[in-house]
Amino acid sequence: MPDLSEKPGLLFVLATLLPLAGFTLLLTVAAIRWALRPYAAESPTADAVFKALGGEVTGRGPAYVALGSIALAFLCCVVGFVWFCIDAAHMHHLEHDIRHYEAEHAEPHHHGPGKAKKKAKDEPADEAAKEKAAKAKADAKTKHDQNVGDYNRLTKNWEGALEWARIFPSKDNVADTKHGTLLTLGFRIDMLSAVMFVMVTLIATLIHLFSIGYMSEELQETVEDHEVHTAHGHYHRRGRYGRFFMFLSLFCFSMLNLILADNLFQIFVSWELVGICSYLLIGFYFERTSASNAANKAFITNRVGDAGFIIGLLIVWTYFGTFNFQEIFSRVRCPERDADDVILINEKPAGHSIVRAKTDRVLKTGRFVKLDSNGDVALIFPRERIMGNVPGHFHGPSSTTAVHDSPRSREYGFIPYWLLVVAGLGIFLGCVGKSAQFPLQVWLPDAMEGPTPVSALIHAATMVAAGVYLVGRCYPLFTPEVLLTIAYIGGITLFVAASIAMVVTDIKKVLAYSTVSQLGYMMLALGVGGWTAGLLHLLTHAFFKALLFLGSGSVIYGCHHQQDMLKMGGLFDKMKITALTMLVGVLAIAGTPFFSGWYSKDEILVAAFGFSMTHPQHFLLFLLPLVTAGITTFYMFRMWFMTFTGEPRDEHVYKHAEETPWVMTTPLVILAIFSVGVAWGWPPHDPEHSWLGQQLHHYSQPAAVDVDFKASHELLHGTPSYHTMVGMLALAVVAIGVAFALVLYYYNVLDPNEAVEQFPGVHKFLLHKWYFDELYSALLVRPGLIFAHWCSGFDTIVINGFVHLVAKWNMFVSYVSGLFDKGIIDGSVNLLADVSYSVGNWLRNLQTGYLRSYVLFLALAAMAIWMLLYAWATAMGGP
Amino acid sequence: MNELDPLLGYLCLAALLFTCGVVCMATKRNAIGVLIGVELVLNGANVNFVAFSRYHPNFQVEGMIFALFVIVMAAGEAAIALAIVLNFYNNHSTVDVDSADELKG
Amino acid sequence: MDDLHPYMFWLIAPLTGLCAIATVITQNIVRSATWLLFTLAGTSSIFFLLGADLVGAIQLLVYVGGTMVLVIFGVMLTAQGPFITMKTSGAEWAISIVAGIMLFAVLGFGATHYVRSSAERAKETVPENPKDSRNSTTIGQGLLGVPVGPSDPKMPSQTIHYLLPFEIVSVHLLVVLIGAAYLARTKRRKEEEAAP
Repeated sequence: MPDLSEKPGLLFVLATLLPLAGFTLLLTVAAIRWALRPYAAESPTADAVFKALGGEVTGRGPAYVALGSIALAFLCCVVGFVWFCIDAAHMHHLEHDIRHYEAEHAEPHHHGPGKAKKKAKDEPADEAAKEKAAKAKADAKTKHDQNVGDYNRLTKNWEGALEWARIFPSKDNVADTKHGTLLTLGFRIDMLSAVMFVMVTLIATLIHLFSIGYMSEELQETVEDHEVHTAHGHYHRRGRYGRFFMFLSLFCFSMLNLILADNLFQIFVSWELVGICSYLLIGFYFERTSASNAANKAFITNRVGDAGFIIGLLIVWTYFGTFNFQEIFSRVRCPERDADDVILINEKPAGHSIVRAKTDRVLKTGRFVKLDSNGDVALIFPRERIMGNVPGHFHGPSSTTAVHDSPRSREYGFIPYWLLVVAGLGIFLGCVGKSAQFPLQVWLPDAMEGPTPVSALIHAATMVAAGVYLVGRCYPLFTPEVLLTIAYIGGITLFVAASIAMVVTDIKKVLAYSTVSQLGYMMLALGVGGWTAGLLHLLTHAFFKALLFLGSGSVIYGCHHQQDMLKMGGLFDKMKITALTMLVGVLAIAGTPFFSGWYSKDEILVAAFGFSMTHPQHFLLFLLPLVTAGITTFYMFRMWFMTFTGEPRDEHVYKHAEETPWVMTTPLVILAIFSVGVAWGWPPHDPEHSWLGQQLHHYSQPAAVDVDFKASHELLHGTPSYHTMVGMLALAVVAIGVAFALVLYYYNVLDPNEAVEQFPGVHKFLLHKWYFDELYSALLVRPGLIFAHWCSGFDTIVINGFVHLVAKWNMFVSYVSGLFDKGIIDGSVNLLADVSYSVGNWLRNLQTGYLRSYVLFLALAAMAIWMLLYAWATAMGGP
Repeated sequence: MNELDPLLGYLCLAALLFTCGVVCMATKRNAIGVLIGVELVLNGANVNFVAFSRYHPNFQVEGMIFALFVIVMAAGEAAIALAIVLNFYNNHSTVDVDSADELKG
Repeated sequence: MDDLHPYMFWLIAPLTGLCAIATVITQNIVRSATWLLFTLAGTSSIFFLLGADLVGAIQLLVYVGGTMVLVIFGVMLTAQGPFITMKTSGAEWAISIVAGIMLFAVLGFGATHYVRSSAERAKETVPENPKDSRNSTTIGQGLLGVPVGPSDPKMPSQTIHYLLPFEIVSVHLLVVLIGAAYLARTKRRKEEEAAP
């Protein structure tokens, strides 16, 4: 175990492993209880152990274990985060110094000799100045070396790896011992993962706390499930309190491991782990058909995305021989400065861009001085030159420790450009599945069948954001085509989901569609070059959406599992804390100034504006999020008004509604505070200066972002007034949304039903969720079923028929064989017996019992024998 | 007399006696008649023995001694046979050998 | 005497053969026994003719004197009406005669074949005067254990004697005596037991 001060990154590893320890403990105890349960009645010892471990239904023990482990993990993360911020600032300075030195000294390296001669001619006599200059140069060199050393040391503090599996190379490739043969488990902390760690552990801790209250029904010996009807009334089962927290712990471990990972494969493993946790928790009430169907739907839909993910992984593995992010990115993106030469595209340096070339050029020149940008292959750059001696090419901190060295990684290579696009699209398809984006968005609303804390943690704040996180993480791998796809998918998703959210009445479904819509915002932001904006929105959204979900959970709990907003109303008096905290959430998501959502959403809109200004043909990418900002505001306020204001629509619900206990309201308050202030910075009125956004922007944003979206970034930097303009525009749209909501649902000036009647077609269309489920049913599910039936029929008729035919043929052969046995085999034996019998019977007649005939036979026999002997003797040659 | 060896005559006589004995056994239904046939057969054999003792150099004593044994045996045989006949007669009240067919197949 | 032997043979042998045939042919058991008596007597004279005087004598004594008496005794014990003459069917006769002729033919053929093929003959051993005959002495010595027979070609020092067969025959006769007595006796006793 290395010293923590030498390797503070291990704090995050510890934070990852704590929930795993909790899960393991709970699983072990559960397994022992399961094993002991049948014997508890018989053996007193077993009974004692069984009772000690929680008995028939566990108490709050599992909750405390899970909460303790995640809270400890949170503490580790906070310590690690502060530590990392200090180190990151230090490294930023070092990096700046190194760059500065290199910029000074790199110039003479190329064009130096001429200049130096010139200088020597101009000032031949000034030896003192020359000496001084030499001394300064030497000092600078020393300082530089020290800086480089410090930089590398600090970098190594935050990353590490251990070998997981090594696949040995084939025999005929002995020299290439490390070629594509190493899978590592590694971690690498950068600002993005550090922030994500803090966010996930904080929200998870609060949701664990909330769950202690929300899931308290599961503590009962017998739980009555009102939604499952059996022949004997409602379904009764044992409480599942322990199981819930066990799954939550497993999920926390998986999610943290996903953030921790420094390679694609580890992410894929965690990806599947969070998927299975999601499956288990959506199907927590698996007795309900709707819940088990929803779990299956979520899992199968994610499989579609994961198929793409695997294709991406395969392509990456095949062409790069590694899954490590740093190595992939440094090889797919052009180095800022090559040791040999500067790579130029159209006469301009090509640092941090994906370089395309013609295949014949790659083969002929080998050294890429000048290339056009529209070739059919993308270059793969050697790792050695950019990461070995020259520490100058930063996609954030870089180092060699976590990157394994293989001969191939020291050479130029190339990948067919279309395959690079396919790899990016494949990985993005995985993200589409996980983040419920446009073609695969159908599972997330159904996933609301799970308990509300699960919806908050997994299906709003963390897991669904993993897709966005991965897109952000893999950013340098994506080609412009992929990024454009991402932007459009995000744009479509955010609009479609928001439009549906306007009409649904289930409080959790509103939030679910809102989640899908907000994830669409993030994707759009990433696609249009707003890397920081997208990931900042991921963080702010995690807080306010967790808050909203927990608030809805509080409402549902307070209303005794009533989820339909049509039966709520006027609850403000009954549950003030919930109502106020939820209002904070609503304001945050709507983008009210100085609430966290405002900062991120404004950034997104600005990025989208910049992109559509430079690419006017993609103006939709700005229009859609702008309009949707209004829609978002409308449906969120609609939800809040329908729930908390006006006259109670259902007396029964209203009468029994009550404020929830402190374990549930405390997380709401904490989350509300974060929802307001998490994105603050100085000055607070400028979204650009959000502290969190600045951290991400400076320490984590890949250099590729600025290169790929150079034009739009330059445009936005060049005209600061665009920011103000877009902000005003967004505010105006939000105000319109609020106004509509107030008119329709607060002041009741207009009857919403009348408004609906104006557009019955649209309303029906939205109510059916744009008919996506029906479309998939018609396109995929039903053909699948028909195909399955056809296969079944094929089995029944052809396969079974064939088998039966064979069986019949066998029976026939057996029958013939039987006949043969009976006729020939038995027959011959019987014939022998019959012949023996009849001969005996015939011979019997000779035994007349007449003495005299015996004498005659005797005589005749004697004669016969004598004559035979005589004949034989004669034949033998003697008379 | 050279053409006809004296041995051949005795052998033919013996054959005749033997054949007569066999035919006698085969034709007589009376048990005593069968016994008579047996005596004839034995006599035929005896004639052979004695003839060879007379005409064969290696049988000069053996032939006669065997003949003596046969005679003695025949006497014993006759005694036993007669006893059997009497017993059969006592049991079946007949001496017809054809009626002694209990052991037929 | 040399010349007389064939005549005597041709006198005695046909008579004996005829008597034997008569024994077979006659239907009456008493007559059959009588013909047998003649046959036996003829045989004994054949023995005498062959120079086997002791055998001939014993033939007369044992057969004609003993065995015939037994036979006749048996005939008399069982000679009740129907059993004196028990007719045999013609078919049986025919079969038996055919078989007899075949048997005789075979035997005759064999004898002829033998006589033709073996030329070895004993020298004239029959003494001129019967009183010179050494048969009785030789046989008696042989039966009492004196080696009299031909020497074994393989072991010339050992000659054959007939003591053991003699003893066996003695015991045999004793067994026959007892057996005959037993057989003849038991049934009667059973009948007596059954009668009262």
